Amino acid sequence: MTAPPINPPETLSFKYVPRPGLLKIALLNFFLGIVTLTIYRFWAKANTRKHIWSCIHINGEPLEYTGTGGELFRGFLMVFGLFILPYIVILKGLQLSLGETHPVTTGFGLLFAFAVYFLWGFAIYKQRKYQLSRTQWRGIRGTMAGSAMVYSLAYFGSMLARLFSFGWATPVMDTVLQEQITNDMRFGDAAFKFRGRAGPLYPTYALCWFLTGAFVIGITAFISYEAITWFGSELRALFDFFNGQTGESTPTERQHYLIGIIVLFIAAGLLSFFVVIPVLWAVYSAKEIRTFANYTSFDGAQFSLNARPWSMVWLTISNILLFVFTLSIARPFIIQRNLRYLVDRLSLEGAIDISRIQQSTAAMPKRGEGLADAFDLGAW
Amino acid sequence: MAVSANYFDGQSAKDHPVTLDMNGTDLLFSGTDVSPTRWSLNGLYPLDPPSPGQPFRLTHVERPGARLILRDEAFIKTLVASSSHLKGGYSWADISHVFGWIIGGLVAVATITYICMALLPDRIAKILPNDWRNRVGRQMETAVVEGARICSTPKGDAALSTMIDNLAQGAPDMPPISVHIYDVPILNAFAVAGGNIIMTRELIEKADAPEEVAGVLAHEIGHVYHLHPEAQLVRLTGMQVLASIFTGSNGGNTTTNAALLATILTYSRSAEAEADAYARETMVKASIDPMGLKVFFEKILKIQGDMKGSSSTFKALGNLFSTHPGTEERIKEITPLPAGQVAVPALTPDEWQALKTICVR
Repeated sequence: MTAPPINPPETLSFKYVPRPGLLKIALLNFFLGIVTLTIYRFWAKANTRKHIWSCIHINGEPLEYTGTGGELFRGFLMVFGLFILPYIVILKGLQLSLGETHPVTTGFGLLFAFAVYFLWGFAIYKQRKYQLSRTQWRGIRGTMAGSAMVYSLAYFGSMLARLFSFGWATPVMDTVLQEQITNDMRFGDAAFKFRGRAGPLYPTYALCWFLTGAFVIGITAFISYEAITWFGSELRALFDFFNGQTGESTPTERQHYLIGIIVLFIAAGLLSFFVVIPVLWAVYSAKEIRTFANYTSFDGAQFSLNARPWSMVWLTISNILLFVFTLSIARPFIIQRNLRYLVDRLSLEGAIDISRIQQSTAAMPKRGEGLADAFDLGAW
Repeated sequence: MAVSANYFDGQSAKDHPVTLDMNGTDLLFSGTDVSPTRWSLNGLYPLDPPSPGQPFRLTHVERPGARLILRDEAFIKTLVASSSHLKGGYSWADISHVFGWIIGGLVAVATITYICMALLPDRIAKILPNDWRNRVGRQMETAVVEGARICSTPKGDAALSTMIDNLAQGAPDMPPISVHIYDVPILNAFAVAGGNIIMTRELIEKADAPEEVAGVLAHEIGHVYHLHPEAQLVRLTGMQVLASIFTGSNGGNTTTNAALLATILTYSRSAEAEADAYARETMVKASIDPMGLKVFFEKILKIQGDMKGSSSTFKALGNLFSTHPGTEERIKEITPLPAGQVAVPALTPDEWQALKTICVR
C-alpha cells in the first residue's frame, strides 16, 4: 500500500521575459489605427495584451491572453448601440425640437452625465472580469466572483467622498475599493484576500497633497505676477482688442510679442500640470501599491511589492516622455514598462499547493469592455 | 524519439510531466497520471509561433483548454516541419478576416455618411414642425448676434415691411419671415432657421439704392424658402452623431457655438445658386431691378479685400458672398429686367432714407 502522492507546495516566482515583436505590433497598431479611423483599436489592444501577457512568466510558465479583438469590438457595438447612440440621438432630437437651452434638454444631459458617473465603477469591474476570464496560467483562468453593481455603488460613493473631502478621503476610499475588488478575484477556484487599513497611507498622501497645493498656487501666482508687472497695460489693450472694443485697429508689434509670451506661459503651465503633478502623485502611487500588495494574499501566501518612490517617479516621467515624443506609437511599450515594473518587483512569500487549484466554473463573458471603451478607462 | 514534455489538462493547475512521441499523423503522450492520449497533428494549434529558446506551447481543437508544452528543440523542429500550419504568425485567413471586418465597417460608415449628409437633411428639414424651427432659429439668432443692439425706428421698421411687401408681389408663396437689422460694423446678412433673417448696419449703410438691399433680402428669403438653414442644421447634427462613433463624445451644442454656427450657415454652391435663382425670379416678377443685387455683389467683391480683422461670429461666418468660389459666375447670371418691363422702385426715397437711418440713435 502506498499513500496517494502528495504534491509538495510550490513557491511562486514572477519574471518578465521580453521577446521580440512588440515594435511590429506598435507600428501596426498605429498605422491601422489611422487607416481605420481608430476602429482597429480593439484588435490593437488584443494583440498587445497577447504579446505582453506571454512575457510574464510564473515559475517558468508564461501567462496566456486568450481574448480577441472581435470580442472587444462586439462589446463596443453593444454599449454603443444600447447606450451611447440612443443618448446622442435623443439629445440631438431635443436640441432640434426644444432647443439647447430648454430645461428638458439640459436635464437630459445631466441625467446622462449622472448615469456615466454611476456606471464608472461598473465599467472598471467588468473590464477586470473580462481580462481575468481571458488570462490563463497553466490552463487555468481567472474570474471575478462578485457583483459589478455593488462595486459600482461603492465607486460612486467614493467619488462623492473624494469630492467633498477635497481629496482627503482618497486613501480610505482606495483601500475600501481595493479590498472589494481583490476579495472578488479568483484564479481557478483559489481566492485572493485583502485585509488592511488605510492609516499608513496618510503621511505620504498629506505630503503629496500639500506639495500639489503649493505647486498650483505658486505657479499661478508666479505667472500672474510676471504677466501683470511686465505687460499690464498691453494686456488690457489686448483683451479690449479680442473683445472687439477697438474695432478696426490691428494689434501692435509689441502685442504680437505678448501673444507669443502668453502662449509660452500657457505651454509651460500645461507642461507642469501634465508632468509635475503626475510625478508628485507617483510618490503616493508607489506607497499605495506597495502597501496594497502587503495587504493581499493568495491561497494563504502574502504578496510583497518592492515599489519605491524614485523608481515610480522615473517610470512616470519616462512614460510621459515616451508617449509624447513618439506621438503615442510607443503605447504598447508603456504598457509593457508598467507591467514589467510590477512583475520585476513582485514576490509571493510562502508556498502554496498549486496542483490543488481547479478550473474556474464561472461563465465566460462573451464580449468585453464596451463601457470601459466608451468611458475611455485607461486606454488599455 | 520519445521526449519529455509538460501537460496541463485545463481542469487543474497541476503540472503533468509526460513522455511525448509522434507518428505520421498524431502526437502521442502519457504520464504517471495522464492516460495515453492521441492528438491528431491536423487539430494542433500553436499558442505562439515557435521561436528558438522558447518553449513551444500547443493546444488541440478537441481540447481547447488543455496545454502541451514542448521544450525539446529537435522535436519541435521535426514537428513544425511535418505540419506547416504550426509555423503560426498571421495567416492569410486571419488577415483577410480582420480586413474584411474593417473594410465592411468603413463601407458601412461611408454609406451611412452619404445618407446622413446628402439624402436625408433636405427631407428631414421639410418635416420639422414650425415651432421647432422657430425656437431653434431664435436661439441661433441670439448666438449669432452676440448681444449686438437691434436697430429699430418706427419709420425704419415700416420701410422694411414695405420692402418685404414689395418683394412679396413677385413671390405669392413667400414663406413667413422675420427680418432684423443689428448694429454691427461688419457687412453681412444671413438666414437662420425658422425664417429669421439677420442683416447688419454696415450692409444697410454701404448700399446706395433700396434695390441693393432688396436683392440681398430676396437672396436670404431664397435660403428660407429652400429651408437651407434647417437642412444644414440637420446635416451637422448627423455629422455629430457619426463623429460620436469614433470619439464617443456627443459633439456639444450646435446652435449656440460660433464655430458650428459658421459651419451651418456656410452653404454649398448649389444652395447659393438656388437662393440666387429665387432672388432673380422674385425680383423680376415684382418688377424690382435685379441689377441692384448685381451692383451690390460687385461692391462686396471690392470691399472683401479691405475687411479688417475681428474675432466675432460675424467674421467667422465669412462675408456674404466670399465663402465660395465662383462669385463672378454668380454675378454674370444676374440680368436686367426684360425689355418693356418697367422697374418699380423697391422703396420711395423717403422710405429708403428711413431704412438707411434705422440704426442711427
